[in-house]
Amino acid sequence: MTRALIAEDEPILAATLAKTLQGLWPELEIVAIAPNGLAAVEQGLALRPDILFLDIRMPGQTGLEAAEELAERWEGPQPFPHIVFVTAFDDYAVEAFERAAVDYVLKPVSSGRLARTVERLRALVDARSAPASVLPAADSLGQLLGQLQALLPSAVMAERLTTVRAAVGNVVRMIPVLEVVFFQAVDKYVNVVTVDSEALIRVPLKDLLPQLDPEQFRQVSRSMVVNMACVVSAGRDELGKVTLNLRGRADKPRVSPVYAHLFRQM
Amino acid sequence: MSSLTLPILTRRLSRPQRLLADLPLSIGISALLAAFISLVSGRFLENLLVSILIGTISFTVVNGGRLLFWDRPDWGIREWAPFLALAVAASPVAHFCGLHLAGLFLNIRTPTLAEYPTVERVSMVLFTLLGTTLMVMLVMNRERVRRAEEEQAQSRLRAEIIERQALQSQLRLLQAQIEPHMLFNTLANLQGLIAIDPDRASEMLDQLIQYLRATLSVSRSETTTLEQEFGAMQAYLGLMGVRMGARLAYRLELPPELRTARLPTMLLQPLVENAIVHGLEPKVDGGEVVVAARASGGSLEIEVRDSGLGLGQPPARRGGSGVGVATTRERLEVLYGARAAITLSPAEPQGMLARLTLPLETTA
Repeated sequence: MTRALIAEDEPILAATLAKTLQGLWPELEIVAIAPNGLAAVEQGLALRPDILFLDIRMPGQTGLEAAEELAERWEGPQPFPHIVFVTAFDDYAVEAFERAAVDYVLKPVSSGRLARTVERLRALVDARSAPASVLPAADSLGQLLGQLQALLPSAVMAERLTTVRAAVGNVVRMIPVLEVVFFQAVDKYVNVVTVDSEALIRVPLKDLLPQLDPEQFRQVSRSMVVNMACVVSAGRDELGKVTLNLRGRADKPRVSPVYAHLFRQM
Repeated sequence: MSSLTLPILTRRLSRPQRLLADLPLSIGISALLAAFISLVSGRFLENLLVSILIGTISFTVVNGGRLLFWDRPDWGIREWAPFLALAVAASPVAHFCGLHLAGLFLNIRTPTLAEYPTVERVSMVLFTLLGTTLMVMLVMNRERVRRAEEEQAQSRLRAEIIERQALQSQLRLLQAQIEPHMLFNTLANLQGLIAIDPDRASEMLDQLIQYLRATLSVSRSETTTLEQEFGAMQAYLGLMGVRMGARLAYRLELPPELRTARLPTMLLQPLVENAIVHGLEPKVDGGEVVVAARASGGSLEIEVRDSGLGLGQPPARRGGSGVGVATTRERLEVLYGARAAITLSPAEPQGMLARLTLPLETTA
């Protein structure tokens, strides 16, 4: 039996999607309806569905963020669910969904379009009777996130940061951006880490990212942006997750499956 | 679109008032001429009195004639000829009368008519003629300058009004835009309801129609009543209530006596939309919106209070947090200047409070 989770904050839309799916695919079991982006992740981890319908705009966090978090926290032998994004007309860029080969349906959902999606999902589920990994889904998700990042207005408007100003006690330290090994999000702060120092700044990682050179600084997980010039090697830990060895640092940050493609052999 | 109405810049003066207003100039010039004559003959005070009397009489007659018969700009020969004739005729009369009047005041002997044809007296009459013509021409020039200034001010004012009206309608249209995301999500809900609960679907359709009507009619009218505006908000919140389910509670408080109060269209909408889109929709547990109007002195106060995420939150990603409020602020500035205000403040215990203050205008 194939199991699906729907994440949608508007109850009527969730009920309608469930009902339409039931009509098109009677053997599909809707295991739960998550009312926001946080519940989507928790219920996804708890219920381990085969398919996940994710609304893009939800309270708590967006469907994209939920998918990213889920990919990062997904463990064990069970394959990562197929994700279908559900989006209203102007949400983000539909073009980005197309290019990243991510499944999506538009709201209001037309049953013809949904029938095609169901057909594809059925084929995928049948083919995946053999064990599979999180990677194919995570790869296309990573591509999608990259594309969307480039589309955000802040990416175009932001000026490049050359020096990070961080208050340490009574002094403000001037840290050249190129000396930063990685930035790590800690609650509402970001820890700026160099070879020999750490300093907290009060800027969310999301706001910092557009100000960094995207060639040099890459996001490797939801909470970490790494200076690629400082990455010595990438390996796998005992759980099979990709980890990084950094020049001059003992930390071995984990790479989210969504960004693992950055560290695969050529 | 209303027609252009220009306030009258300067009050039009009546002819006697204009004559009086010009008198000081004529007295001043008479005094100057007296000083000039005194250089030749001495006796300044006597000359001053005589000169002012003659000057005032001749100026009053000639300038009065001008105001009565030829009061128009751009003189041609048909104005100049009779005007000069009047000045020539008035000068000897004014000289004779002014001199005799001065004689009465100073108790001195003045020449009779028979004694007038001397070179000295005739030259004084000619002097009077010159002085009078000079005075009137100065006055006419002053009027011409003032007229030009007035015209310039009028055209400046007209340009300003046109610009302001253009800005106003632009801002209004900006606020009347229906967000496609809102429309498509509402349609998606409607589509769902038709299959699940047709009665509620029909109710929702009613609300959508009312909301669209209110939003789309904005481009046609400038003001509306509070009752209509609250009706539109009721429809909007009703739609959002269906969509958000138990996550949204709302209350509208409109005292009956304020139903007919007038206000510009689409002022309330962006504030309520903000409360939903940036306050409650992104909040996991949702919350409540309260829209309340009250009269306070001569002002109308409208409050939109939500228990949502509040001001401290990073703006929603689609950008445009506060754009509605900025546009509303701009519109208020254009419409009312300092007489209206909009303030945003944190609400207790959480959320945001938007307060709109504008002059209270009621229709009977």
